[in-house]
Amino acid sequence: MERILSDNLSKTYPGGKQALCHMSLSLGAGEVFGFLGPNGAGKTTTVKLLTGILTPTEGSCLVMGYDPSKEPEKTHSLTGVVTEHAQMYDHLTGLENLLFYASVFNLSPQEGKDRTRNLLERLGLWDAANQPLATYSTGMRQRLSLARALIHDPQVLFLDEPTSGLDPESAQSVNSLIRNLAREEGTTVFLCTHQLRYAQELCTRYGLIEEGKLLALGTLEELQKQVRQGALLQISAANIPETAAFRKIGEMRYEKEILSKEEVPILIRQIVESGGDIYSVETKFPSLEDIYFSLTANNKEERK
Amino acid sequence: MNKAMQAIIKKDFQSVASNRRLFISLLIVPLVLTIFLPSVFVLSAYFVPDDPDIQAMLKLLPVSPGSDSTSLLLMDLIFNYILPVFFLIIPIMASSIMAASSFVGEKEKHTLETLLYSPLTLHQIFRSKVLASFLLSMLVSLFSFLVMTIVVEAEILFLFGSFLLPKINWLILLALLSPGVSLIAVTLIVRGSAKARTMEESQQGAVFLIMPVLLLIAGQFTGVMLLNAWILLILSFLCIGLAWLLLKKAVKGFTYEMLLR
Repeated sequence: MERILSDNLSKTYPGGKQALCHMSLSLGAGEVFGFLGPNGAGKTTTVKLLTGILTPTEGSCLVMGYDPSKEPEKTHSLTGVVTEHAQMYDHLTGLENLLFYASVFNLSPQEGKDRTRNLLERLGLWDAANQPLATYSTGMRQRLSLARALIHDPQVLFLDEPTSGLDPESAQSVNSLIRNLAREEGTTVFLCTHQLRYAQELCTRYGLIEEGKLLALGTLEELQKQVRQGALLQISAANIPETAAFRKIGEMRYEKEILSKEEVPILIRQIVESGGDIYSVETKFPSLEDIYFSLTANNKEERK
Repeated sequence: MNKAMQAIIKKDFQSVASNRRLFISLLIVPLVLTIFLPSVFVLSAYFVPDDPDIQAMLKLLPVSPGSDSTSLLLMDLIFNYILPVFFLIIPIMASSIMAASSFVGEKEKHTLETLLYSPLTLHQIFRSKVLASFLLSMLVSLFSFLVMTIVVEAEILFLFGSFLLPKINWLILLALLSPGVSLIAVTLIVRGSAKARTMEESQQGAVFLIMPVLLLIAGQFTGVMLLNAWILLILSFLCIGLAWLLLKKAVKGFTYEMLLR
């Protein structure tokens, strides 16, 4: 069964602003979906539609087989949500907060205690468990929010900018937690972010959104093909034959655009056979960032 | 009521108890109304002169005969007809602060959205909020009644050497009418809180709603206590019915979108 299924999902706000425009996508178990786009692109609107907080103006969606706009409470019992606006209670301690949400999600007291301890330890918050939330730093709050979203062992996890404001170490522990959840427990993760490098570390599939429109959808390789950018082959070498047609970019440094990685061994063999010396070889494929800028640039041109 | 709703009620109670200023003001007003004022009444009844005018007024009222003392008759009148009215005012006042902040308080602290992501329906969340404020009002009311009874009876015993027996009307008012009226007020205030965008808006709405109700009740119910128990009973059931209906219909047309606006 598809975990998340949206069909022509659209949302126009009462003021007339079209925040999301005919978005169709489907996500299965264990996928980490990176939903990328600038601020105001429609990422948060999408999460709110998929969690039933907003009602679509057109199209429909199913999360875990339930329509979130009709049966939000059923969707919520199987999903966890971390967003900037979903905070917890300042006067309660981290532990009390989690225990409260554990009982709201109908966990038994013992289950709640075990789960809370486990999550606090995994996210490095156990030492601060008995401090009131008011004393937590931004990063600690964010990690506690993630623990809160995971308290009932959800099958789908919506994360809206989960690591903005985290120091590198905490970001790493959050990343490994998310990765493990997807790999070992088959949790589907819907990750909204504008930090492209961060997304590339974690996601198995991507959606690029700008001004409410889904520009591209697929794995990194599929997206690379979509923008038709080849790779860049960079070598450190000496005595390169002229027929190889490399560009010199420095002392013993050369580069050449190629269309696919199959070209690499052919070119290298050619150099070696004609007496060249090779010290290092590096193939650079377009990063998510390159693809993103190329696609958004195309979109802007089309609109012009 | 399920466990999740109980958790919300417990959490709302804790947040009132942890806010010391709010907690103290919750206790002070009822204590003034149930200790200070009744004590003043008892003393003034004790020192009342044997005026024929007061005798004449007492004859017009259906106070229990059997005592010749004007003071004791007057005290009986105050105890059975005036003090009960306080128990219509106290629960509404006690719960109004908590009820007014129930939704908008969470909205301002950005915790409402988190609560909406729970596996509870809007109606269940609304009911939990109403029940929390309602239970608080009943607790304060019961506590005030116990304190008042002990203090007033002790004073009467000390000054007059006898006890005053509460009438059946007391029981009806405390057990039925007061909860009914209080539930109506709480439901309306919580509904206002869900619709309000700021705490001020919600509190102003509550005051605008409560003040007329309070004045109306205070004015009318001293008379109602003079009516017989059956009429009071019917009135109580009408209030409870209205409260139930309100609670059922209050969230009609509510959406998450509206709550988070």
